Amino acid sequence: MHSFIPPNQFVAIKLPSDQTRIVKLVPDSLVQLGKYGSFPANQIIGRPFYFTFEIQDTAEKDGYKLRVVSATELHAETLIEEAEADGEGEDQPEGSGIPMRTNRQIVDDASTQTLTLQEIEELKKEAGGAGKEIIAKILESHTALDQKTAFSLAKYTLRKRQKYLKRFTVVPLDVSTLANFMLAEKDATRTMELRDEHIGLLGCFGNVHYGGDSHNEESTPDGLPTTKPNGRYYVVDETGGLVVAAMAERMGILYPRDEDEDEDDGKEEEEATDSNEQNPTGEDNNAEAQGATSTSKRKRPQAMSASGNTITVVHASSQPNLSLLKYFGYDINTPDENHPLHTHLKTVTWLQMIDPAVDPILSNRPAEIPPAELAALKGSKRSAYHFKRNRWERIKKVVEEARAGSFDGLVVATLLEPASVLKNLVPLLSGSASVAVYSPTVESLVVLMDKYSTTRRTAFINNKRDLEAQSTSGQNDIDLSSLYEEFELDPTLLLPPTLHRSRVRAWQVLPGRTHPLMTGRGGAEGYLFHGVRVIPTTANVQAAGTFRKKRKLEQQTSTPTPTTDQDVEMAS
Amino acid sequence: MPSPFLTPGESALADNVALLHLRRDDSMPTVLRAFDDKNEGYKEGKVSNTRFGSFPHSTLIGQKWGSQIAASKVDTGSRGRKPTKRKAEELDASTGADDDSASTKTPVAASSGFLHLMYPTPESWTLSLPHRTQVVYTPDYSYILHRLRARPGSTVIEAGAGSGSFTHASVRAVFNGYPGEEPATKKQRYEFHEQRAGRVREEITEHGLDGLVEVTHRDVYEDGFLLGDPQTGRSPKASAIFLDLPAPWLALKHLVRHPASGGESPLDPNSTAYICTFSPCLEQAEKTIRMMRKLSWLNISMVEVQHNRIEVKRERIGLDCDGIRGATVFPKTVDEAATKLREDDARAKRFRLGRSADEEASANENEASSVKEPAGPLYSVGRLVHRSENELKTHTSYLVFAILPRDWTEEDEQRCRQKYPSDKADNNDRIPAGKSRKQMKREFKELRLKEAADEKAKAQQPAEETSEA
Repeated sequence: MHSFIPPNQFVAIKLPSDQTRIVKLVPDSLVQLGKYGSFPANQIIGRPFYFTFEIQDTAEKDGYKLRVVSATELHAETLIEEAEADGEGEDQPEGSGIPMRTNRQIVDDASTQTLTLQEIEELKKEAGGAGKEIIAKILESHTALDQKTAFSLAKYTLRKRQKYLKRFTVVPLDVSTLANFMLAEKDATRTMELRDEHIGLLGCFGNVHYGGDSHNEESTPDGLPTTKPNGRYYVVDETGGLVVAAMAERMGILYPRDEDEDEDDGKEEEEATDSNEQNPTGEDNNAEAQGATSTSKRKRPQAMSASGNTITVVHASSQPNLSLLKYFGYDINTPDENHPLHTHLKTVTWLQMIDPAVDPILSNRPAEIPPAELAALKGSKRSAYHFKRNRWERIKKVVEEARAGSFDGLVVATLLEPASVLKNLVPLLSGSASVAVYSPTVESLVVLMDKYSTTRRTAFINNKRDLEAQSTSGQNDIDLSSLYEEFELDPTLLLPPTLHRSRVRAWQVLPGRTHPLMTGRGGAEGYLFHGVRVIPTTANVQAAGTFRKKRKLEQQTSTPTPTTDQDVEMAS
Repeated sequence: MPSPFLTPGESALADNVALLHLRRDDSMPTVLRAFDDKNEGYKEGKVSNTRFGSFPHSTLIGQKWGSQIAASKVDTGSRGRKPTKRKAEELDASTGADDDSASTKTPVAASSGFLHLMYPTPESWTLSLPHRTQVVYTPDYSYILHRLRARPGSTVIEAGAGSGSFTHASVRAVFNGYPGEEPATKKQRYEFHEQRAGRVREEITEHGLDGLVEVTHRDVYEDGFLLGDPQTGRSPKASAIFLDLPAPWLALKHLVRHPASGGESPLDPNSTAYICTFSPCLEQAEKTIRMMRKLSWLNISMVEVQHNRIEVKRERIGLDCDGIRGATVFPKTVDEAATKLREDDARAKRFRLGRSADEEASANENEASSVKEPAGPLYSVGRLVHRSENELKTHTSYLVFAILPRDWTEEDEQRCRQKYPSDKADNNDRIPAGKSRKQMKREFKELRLKEAADEKAKAQQPAEETSEA
């Protein structure tokens, strides 16, 4: 995974200006980097990631025009500085010698730069762009240069370099890169301003991890109570798929199955995909339709068929918005059947979760056509029938699984009111399962925390007991609807609700000039709610501890009245 | 045995490690045993004693994870008198096994006290673990593992630190099947401290992580990271490295593609190496970074994680809050303040005029009724506020991240150039080339859908399409 730059996949390209571009590297195509020039994609495909390339003006014989910039060259400036700093330290004991250079005499106006803009432009044209020469020239002609302190000199060269060097670094497009790209280059609110630290926390607090690939377990006979499949998570994601991608990455199902590292294997793979792509008009295309008829050569993995290590996305629209997954080779509309997400990503609407009876797809069970009749049908009609039938069965199965619950975790980053999400999904979690909710702002989570507050929980338990006490004489089924009118969600199902805030602060580390970065990105702070699903006992349990005496006293004084009340009620 | 950390299953089994959750930030790790493994002499078998009562393990084993468990009445007193040696010997000799079964009493529920039975997660473990050295807490390790790209299938090297919080978190991150089951990956851990290494090894076995974690007792500054023999040993082929050492720069010389000693590199030759060092002091981080620059590490960055927990409370202020716990009796508004002042003044006047006592009482009653009005149930009274929890970790450590690309030889380069000819680049056919094929497929599919499925089926597709473009 990510050991060399793969063809036909998205990669991120970092430019000297600190910008990032996301590019799909199609072999034999040209990659345009705006003012930094362009280069053929072939010249980086297959090479290692994190190499910094410089686009040269004169190509080699075979047309190769990139140069790998070595790490030493990249660090050159600081390495020199560090060496100098070492020397200085030895030469000058503290407090003596030459006074520290300051910027007192430096006049920063256009007159100190002796090259005119025109001249610079000419230079650029002449030298083409082997930027270093230009920078050297400019630095030479900068009259005030020798007055500059080391610090401003570094800054100056850095600025110049960013302007003229045609360098770029190729970085694998993973969740972290994509998250930062969305933050810095795109509309950050689309991903709810999710930062690296939030993604890490969300995954850890959600306890999301690989849960064993029980892909083929589904064939076990129904009668046997198989052990609960591991690693099934509910995800509510309004970040366009970033949270799903992050969780899938943790579960090992995000990246397309490895086209192997070995070059030879790579070739075979390529041929295979080529041949696949050559007949897009054949039967190959109505994949879903053919799934059941088993006429296809190899067994096709059914969509959403995995039983363990799965993500179940519950979404508010009729289709989930998971558009960011396309960067990982999975387009939800034209899914690649070989992609692990094809089988491990399941989608369910809220309506299907809450009221499947009225769901337009589920309630419309396609009538079964007997095989004989089916055979007589026209090809297109037949495949349409199979398509509808399979879709219905598939969705039914997924919805039933999601509603049956016993899932291992819930990860939420949503625009919905978090309490309403937890109200519906927390009861479906298995005991000890983790719940993690991200919100860019604190308010909704503060409300959520309050829904699980200790006083509310105590009130809930007491009210529930009262209701139970009232109904013991009569029916077994206790009518708790009045309880849920008062309490939006059952506060006894989650312990211990905690709210976190985390922010990473970046530092600049340079010899003698180490300090936190002066500016950073503002915007949403980002908060995380975490709790663990518990199963309260049906029996009345009294808490023990320091506060026990107090409560006993309270109860002694307060209980007589309600009991008499009840007696009266029951008698009447 | 599957580890409850990774695949807990539905209910707690004997010999599983479990967390007894008592209350926030207070939980007790224990290994569930069907027998009295430490021979503590309880009649109920093994018992965990907590501040909220005693819990015989027979009441825990077989319960669903997450269950609330009531405490039991356990005689903790008389057991304290340990049987004398002679007596113990007698017991062992005479009754032995059947004594065990006969004497394990079925526990009797106590009148109060409960806990929740939880399976351990690296997070809960971190909070409850026996402190040995500095702990890497969740906000740090979650970020570190994310940045280190520790994913199912990777191999992680961890050097230093005895607490084990990072170990558990990183095992979870790289776990992709138990050994012998599937391509299981290992996580390597090096420990300088021999005693600690032993303890960690025990813990790994207890937690069912055998075969997933390999613990080596080693001075990594000197001996590097090869498994087995420091000189000729096997390479762990790691792609992620976490150094929680006092002097990480001294260990860096071993983490190169071609070690000076001529031995094998501990890094995975086929992948990028990601490193993170964890040092509390700035000087350590600076030295580390200097060494990294010299050793050609790239994308060097230093960050610190600032994390705090937030508590949410209801702030109750008002003159009507008298008697409510945690509330402040203070006027809520200027109007309320003015009313109170007026009333105070009126009372003072009445007092000066020397009114009779019973009149006073009735006036008081009036007053009370005018102020107090039921404001709904207690839990929803007052304004919701949030603030940082009292204890704040203002600094944990400086995290230095860096990347070392894989090795690349001239040969590799030539092979690549042959496979992907450098001069082949069709400008016009650039990205559309890939897209159009997809487009064709999609269009074809749409056509199919139109004639096949009813309108309801997937009418949204075109919309999705445009939104993507």
